[in-house]
Amino acid sequence: MENDGKRRAFLKVLGLGSVSLGTAGYSVALGTGKAEKKPHYGMIFDQNKCVGCTDCEVACRKVNEVPEGQVRLYVENKTDPSTPMDKKYVRVSCQQCEDAPCVAVCPSKACHRDVKTGIVTMNPDDCIACKYCIVACPYDVRFINHKTKAAENCNFCLNTNLAKGKEPACVESCKYKALVFGDLNDENAYINQILHVKDHVRMKPTYGTKPSLRYIPVVKVGV
Amino acid sequence: MNGAINYTYGFSHGVEWGWPIAVYLLLAGISGGALIVALLVRFYKKQQVDTPLLKAASLVSFVTIALGMVFLVGDLEKPLYFWKILIHYNFTSVMSIGVMAISIYIPLSLIMCFYLFEKEISVVLAKKSQLLGYFEMVMVLLKKIRPMIEVLSVVFAVVICAYTGFLISVLVRFPILNTAILPALFVVSGLSAGTASASMVASYLFKEDTHSSDLKTLHVIEWPIMAVEIMLIAMLFVSLLVGNEFQQTTTVAFQSGVYANLFWFGVMGVGFGLPLVLNFALGKHVAHSHMAFYLSGMASVLGVLCLRMFIIYAGQTFSI
Ligand code: SF4
Ligand code: SF4
Ligand code: SF4
Repeated sequence: MENDGKRRAFLKVLGLGSVSLGTAGYSVALGTGKAEKKPHYGMIFDQNKCVGCTDCEVACRKVNEVPEGQVRLYVENKTDPSTPMDKKYVRVSCQQCEDAPCVAVCPSKACHRDVKTGIVTMNPDDCIACKYCIVACPYDVRFINHKTKAAENCNFCLNTNLAKGKEPACVESCKYKALVFGDLNDENAYINQILHVKDHVRMKPTYGTKPSLRYIPVVKVGV
Repeated sequence: MNGAINYTYGFSHGVEWGWPIAVYLLLAGISGGALIVALLVRFYKKQQVDTPLLKAASLVSFVTIALGMVFLVGDLEKPLYFWKILIHYNFTSVMSIGVMAISIYIPLSLIMCFYLFEKEISVVLAKKSQLLGYFEMVMVLLKKIRPMIEVLSVVFAVVICAYTGFLISVLVRFPILNTAILPALFVVSGLSAGTASASMVASYLFKEDTHSSDLKTLHVIEWPIMAVEIMLIAMLFVSLLVGNEFQQTTTVAFQSGVYANLFWFGVMGVGFGLPLVLNFALGKHVAHSHMAFYLSGMASVLGVLCLRMFIIYAGQTFSI
């Protein structure tokens, strides 16, 4: 009962910060004798809803202090030139792979998986900027931050918005609700409700890295 | 690939690992290759004396790997943080494994230099008698384990050559790099550059006759090494040609543009063609001349540099 309540109030739990989230899960596991599943955060990009306004890009850069001229998130215009009226956009950002090559190759463990949340993130102080993670990432979504001189990727705002109990900046800023963020391990989470009813794909699944980002493509029906 | 949705934009904008890495890969190859051939000749001929070839190879391997480290560390955006990889060791990273191998290999090649330049080092240290005393003490110990050090040196020299290939063959985004042939190609091309460098230094610095028995041996094994190298490059090409659609598109790298020129003029022309012409096409007189000896040696090294450059640049240019 208490367990269910906690799950449903997912965002409120997040409000306590990732540290307390871990401990909350732990105490529940102790209390019920059942092992609480670790969270597995994912995100949906719905191509049907995205209008290419780039509010998400702006919000991300502001919240995460990404230097001028650099991005963690980019909205690419993929409109087919032969059908210019059918606008199509796609989110370019870290796919938060479950089997992340960037984590595997990093010689200094600067690029790592956060223990509490499982999010692929960075410890900029340990990064020697060898760029191995950048060339190893099959999605080409890492970069060396000009200011910190360390590699960087979208980490679901782990140490900015998420730490403050808010949704990631891009999700928060999307007026069209094209982005949904949540715990894929939580059956009741809104993200799972959407994934149950909508067709969705992973980007370049042949790499076998199991991305946590899901894309709902525009599918043309009829003539 | 997923036809429904896709993106073409990437954040890296071009070649992330540039020429310093290519030069490092060449230097590591020369270092490992030189030590491997010289020690194998020693084992094979059961040599007990210290030959000019072994002297040259030890010197070459230590100097090139040390210089290589300068290029490698210099290419980091934060070179002063280099030590971080020694304390945050990551067993799944080829780079970490390579760093561990290098930190064993460099001392090994240094010890090889100690054996072969003991007299010279003693002369230099003679002014500081205390240091000389320590050095002599250490040498007494080191000499007892020389056969073991020699075998370990060969083993780690192979590891160094091969790991540089594995380092880049794990990069799945780049079809030219992501092949199993690369580590083998790097070992073999390292052998050819190492052979050439060691022979040239043996002749130039240590006055080994270019027709001495050791250098003749190297001269003989040079051609089979080259043949294997060409075969591996052909295998790489064919594996791309018969591969999936992305692998197939990368074969352009061999067919047109600057990289094709680098490959055909640099790797094939200078690296393989020039030595062959100098040694076989212009008659015995030219083939036995000093000029031909140094020219074809330098051509081999240059060819291997071009190969590394080609692999690094063309490899990263053609991504999926
Ligand atoms: S998309 Fe790239 S940066 Fe993100 S987790 Fe996967 S490999 Fe790492
Ligand atoms: S650039 Fe930094 S994060 Fe990336 S692999 Fe190198 S040390 Fe690790
Ligand atoms: S989740 Fe945060 S870091 Fe990632 S793209 Fe959105 S705003 Fe940027």
